[in-house]
Amino acid sequence: MTEQEIIELINKVFEDDFEIEKVNLRPQAHIFNDLGLDSLDIIDLVVALQQNFKIKLKDEEKIREIRTLQDVYNFILNEKNKPAKG
Amino acid sequence: MRLNRVVITGIGAVTSFGNGVECLIQGIRKGRSTVRHMDEWEEYIGLRTQVAAPVEMRNEKKIPRKKRRSMSPMSIYAVQASEQAIADAGINLAEIPADRIGCIIGSTMGSGQTLNTVFENIAQNKDITQISATMFFKCVSHTAAMNAAQYLGLGGYVIATAAACASSLQAVGTGYDLIRLGKQDVLLCGGAEELHATVSGTFDRLYATSVRYNQNPQDTPRPFDSARDGLVCGEGSGILALESYQHAVARGAKIYAEITGYNTCGNAVHISQSDRRSMVYCMQRALNEAGKSPKDVDYINAHATGTVQGDKAEAEAIRELFGNGVPVSSLKGYIGHTLGA
Repeated sequence: MTEQEIIELINKVFEDDFEIEKVNLRPQAHIFNDLGLDSLDIIDLVVALQQNFKIKLKDEEKIREIRTLQDVYNFILNEKNKPAKG
Repeated sequence: MRLNRVVITGIGAVTSFGNGVECLIQGIRKGRSTVRHMDEWEEYIGLRTQVAAPVEMRNEKKIPRKKRRSMSPMSIYAVQASEQAIADAGINLAEIPADRIGCIIGSTMGSGQTLNTVFENIAQNKDITQISATMFFKCVSHTAAMNAAQYLGLGGYVIATAAACASSLQAVGTGYDLIRLGKQDVLLCGGAEELHATVSGTFDRLYATSVRYNQNPQDTPRPFDSARDGLVCGEGSGILALESYQHAVARGAKIYAEITGYNTCGNAVHISQSDRRSMVYCMQRALNEAGKSPKDVDYINAHATGTVQGDKAEAEAIRELFGNGVPVSSLKGYIGHTLGA
């Protein structure tokens, strides 16, 4: 996947699962303060990202550090760029 | 101890006829059936019944996402029916102390659809990481009551009755008791249920479902009919606004009816089969509480799901207590058996 494809798929998750309008999906948008997500939503965000990107997300520390949409992009880009195990 | 009188001041329904009491009544008046063939059930091995009365979900996005995310379809039905009952009763929630109004909404087991989604996920891969945060709130037995109370801001009693097909009647009876005792002023009482092949499947395994009308669904179920062959599942929600008579009069509310007697009981005879004696006992106790005799009764809305054995036992119980002079009918031919709703 290209970086742009990853960003578009993440934006689609925010549109479909959290019903946030595309116009509000700015990279610097704070996912709690600007996009209105809360702690329950973060669990569902992780589930949705796992399903959409066919990955397992286990790094809880890094997930807790996510604040902006750009952080989500970076987090997934980093996960997708990890060398495959084995 | 002086007990309050209890009246019904509002009604709401989400049924296979649509959202609202009016379309339900119109459908019944026209003698329409909402039962249809369930194409999506054909994939289930051994499921003989292929008919049901599904609800078409409407206007669910009027419920904000953060309130809706913990709701399965049955909770959405319950919220919509509760809102109708409140509007119909002319209740302004801001005028009632939050701890004096609550809800009692029953169902057989919570959300059948979400339970299946969860277990399909977990059972297949022994993996819980695909389970979303809100699945629990959608599944639990009290999901409809909890979600309705959350959405409407009710701070009083929140109770979910769970006794299969008696769930919603027990909800109304429990509400009646709580208001009589003065513990609540207003209670939204009723039930909610949603369809799933596994729900109909449990009855199918007991040979209690309709299987002969899969190709002409409009002809089933047939309560009290000699050609009946079993029940057909439905879904939806029905809610009554119960209120103390004093409270209703004080705010000038219209009153549909007064509840004067209620009873619920077990039979301790058989886990699935109907028992005529306990039915007679239950109806007699309700009449006793109301201070009425069988000759005072003008109409009986029977359970009558269309099963061969159940309808027979119920008809015998009604005849034993009321003779043959009281009109009896059932809603199942129009909207199917909505179980806990």
